[in-house]
Amino acid sequence: MLIRLIGGKVYDPANEVDGEVRDIFIDNGKIVATPPHDRRIDKSYDIRDRVVMAGGIDIHTHIGGGKVNIARMMFPEDHRNDPVSRTTRTRAGCGHVLPSTPIAGYRYAQMGYTACFEPAMLPINARQAHMEMADTPIVDKGAYALLGNDDFLLRMFAANKDQQIINDYVAWIIHATQSIAIKVVNPGGISAFKFNQRKLDLDEPHRHYGTTPRQILRQLAQAVYELGVPHPLHVHGCNLGIPGNVETTLDTIEAMEDLPIHLTHIQFHSYDNEGDRRFSSGAPRVAEAVNRNSNVSVDVGQVMYGQTVTASGDTMSQYRNHLLADPNKWMCMDIECDAGCGVVPFHYRERNFVNALQWAIGLEIFLLIGDPWRVFLTTDHPNGGPFTTYPHLIRLLMDRSFRSHMLSQINKSAAEASHLTSINREYSLYEIAIMTRAAPARSLGLKDRGHLGPGASADITVYKDQVNKEKMFAKPEYVFKDGELVVQNGKIVKITQGATHCVKPDYDKTIERSLKRYFDRYHTVALDNFKLRAEEIKGNGSGVLAIHPCRTAKHA
Amino acid sequence: MSALTLTLKDPPDQRVNMSPLVPHRLQGKSLDEIRNIRLAGSRQDLTVGKLFNVSGAQTEHIRMLHGSPMLDAIGSDMTQGLIEVKGGAGDRLGLGMRGGEIRVEGGVRRWAASGMKGGRIHITGDAGDFLGGAVPGSPMGMEDGMVVVSGNAGDRIGDRMRRGILVVEGNAGDYCGSRLLAGTIIILGQAGVAVGFAMKRGSIILAAPPTRIASTFNSCGHLKMEFLRVLFRYLSRSQRRFGAVNTFGPEAERYAGDLAYGGKGEILILDNTLTGTES
Repeated sequence: MLIRLIGGKVYDPANEVDGEVRDIFIDNGKIVATPPHDRRIDKSYDIRDRVVMAGGIDIHTHIGGGKVNIARMMFPEDHRNDPVSRTTRTRAGCGHVLPSTPIAGYRYAQMGYTACFEPAMLPINARQAHMEMADTPIVDKGAYALLGNDDFLLRMFAANKDQQIINDYVAWIIHATQSIAIKVVNPGGISAFKFNQRKLDLDEPHRHYGTTPRQILRQLAQAVYELGVPHPLHVHGCNLGIPGNVETTLDTIEAMEDLPIHLTHIQFHSYDNEGDRRFSSGAPRVAEAVNRNSNVSVDVGQVMYGQTVTASGDTMSQYRNHLLADPNKWMCMDIECDAGCGVVPFHYRERNFVNALQWAIGLEIFLLIGDPWRVFLTTDHPNGGPFTTYPHLIRLLMDRSFRSHMLSQINKSAAEASHLTSINREYSLYEIAIMTRAAPARSLGLKDRGHLGPGASADITVYKDQVNKEKMFAKPEYVFKDGELVVQNGKIVKITQGATHCVKPDYDKTIERSLKRYFDRYHTVALDNFKLRAEEIKGNGSGVLAIHPCRTAKHA
Repeated sequence: MSALTLTLKDPPDQRVNMSPLVPHRLQGKSLDEIRNIRLAGSRQDLTVGKLFNVSGAQTEHIRMLHGSPMLDAIGSDMTQGLIEVKGGAGDRLGLGMRGGEIRVEGGVRRWAASGMKGGRIHITGDAGDFLGGAVPGSPMGMEDGMVVVSGNAGDRIGDRMRRGILVVEGNAGDYCGSRLLAGTIIILGQAGVAVGFAMKRGSIILAAPPTRIASTFNSCGHLKMEFLRVLFRYLSRSQRRFGAVNTFGPEAERYAGDLAYGGKGEILILDNTLTGTES
């Protein structure tokens, strides 16, 4: 079936197309070059004056896995306050900040997003996380396996094992959990928490294993790089949320030297401790360091006002935050010595000095980092706010007068302490297309996503060009997923099942021998049951496993 | 002015969330606006007008005729006014209610008065499980106010209740007052097994001795407690129907427990002067 989209203004940064009016042809779910004149067009859409972009890609959103489920259980009021009824096409569900799995898929699609990546999948929870993602319709999925606090790896570090063996283990985990990248959360800190350490700086040794976060970060980033995994090590650094942690963040960037690294929800790691309240913005320093080091990319983790729930693997910081829980209920737990899990509800208030400044710091980072290819739009859903606030966030970035208006509503001292008034930058549609489409796809190594060139999968979003960017991005006119029209004027018109993206780096399979011994002795599941097989992702035939190539290993 | 009257046309074939229909949310709304209010359902959304014949004007006083066990969350977050339900209600009646009054002629299902922070509820029929108990995920059940059930109540009533008074004139099911944090539960009929299981604080007052008391409760003997006289006087004056409680003396056998959870709570078994129970 040949589909033609006529006359849209195309924003396709991967192919350097900036608002050019051109037709797009879709053949069998793929974008194709202009076909010969004699080919019959099966369906045409007149999209003159409309803005066309590739489908959005959210590089960091907690949509599946153990901690989200715990947060759902802990937060019944979120569900009962936002019930969603069944329609002939869509299933019933509920939840505003923690939507049930089908609702998450629908809402992403309705917003023009076609791929979401769960950034913190514990290897032991991989099966559950993938099952939940399989239950999230329309959008493509993928997950980053969480390492850096697991006993097996820390033992290897403590024993000064060779980098090669660590590479093999990392690759084995990627295979066993069907993931696309590696994430590290508070390197060593979640484990150290269990040994009664309540804080772990970059160079502070772990009380039991003796490793430092610096060593863990270095060696994991090295492993990810040497294996040729496209997405660099996805780092949730030390000292999340502590005033003054900007020093740690800068040290972390420096520690990596030239190794590629992705610093996630950097807003939570850009706090300085100046001023009367010992809390101030470290955004300019972080942005300057990111601008200077081209090996670093970041996503922001913008704070949006309102009720939300923070769900993180970082038990150490969540335990520290539990005093701020609103409503007052929280939990922190260990998960099979793999890592941890902490769920703390938060209510971000614009009149609260700290919350308001967090909001401003996030925006400062967006606006001070020059290269949109290295800063991605996230709220760390649901930690900074639910993903449904993205259109509002885009408007804040694209509309300076709106931003000033919002700035005048927040806590006065926070507004004075922030640098926002002096920043005039406004994002262009082209830059938004980079940070929400082209750049995440490139960072993750998705060659056929995030652009509109021939050969790309036809994930396409068509927006009505409006002055109010919040309205524009909240309700696209058409959304195509793999060439099929899934959303029309904000209504779901077809349910599809997205692919699960993953990578399969090469490694030495003999690592399984030592793993087998370890599993037999310590683990709660047998090695063979731990591994998630490709057939399980494919399920009853509806799931698709999309394997993306790794870079040729550089010096492995 | 007449009460706003909602007459159910046909019993719904799905669960319906009635939480928008409370006085403070209807204030100043015209009948047509009320008819167009969306009610979330388990299968499909309905409007008030589709489900009910709506008449009357006074939104401070809402009457629901022909209630149904499918109507959930009646009076949720209510702050003022009066809701009368004739014919029963579903789950979560008066969820998070802060003030006003709900009267139900008939029975209700589970989790009535959960998270209730003030006001009064009177149920003439039976109440289901978890009356005044915590919905899953909530740290507390009933947090204040007063609930009276004239019929029987189900299992685990007052589960994680924090404050307030819960009176059951009939019998209560098993695990009455389980995980009770504080507050007062009064059972005038017979309570089931495991009364006060894992209770931390609070008082469970039983008019009839239960068949068995768990070994984690210790008898403190028969005591004369002036607090009981004050409580009973308060109850009998607050509602004429409780005139009978004045027949109880201030004497009761006191059990402290649950000792596995600190033992600051108590089960009081009244010496009933009417039946002449002596133990």
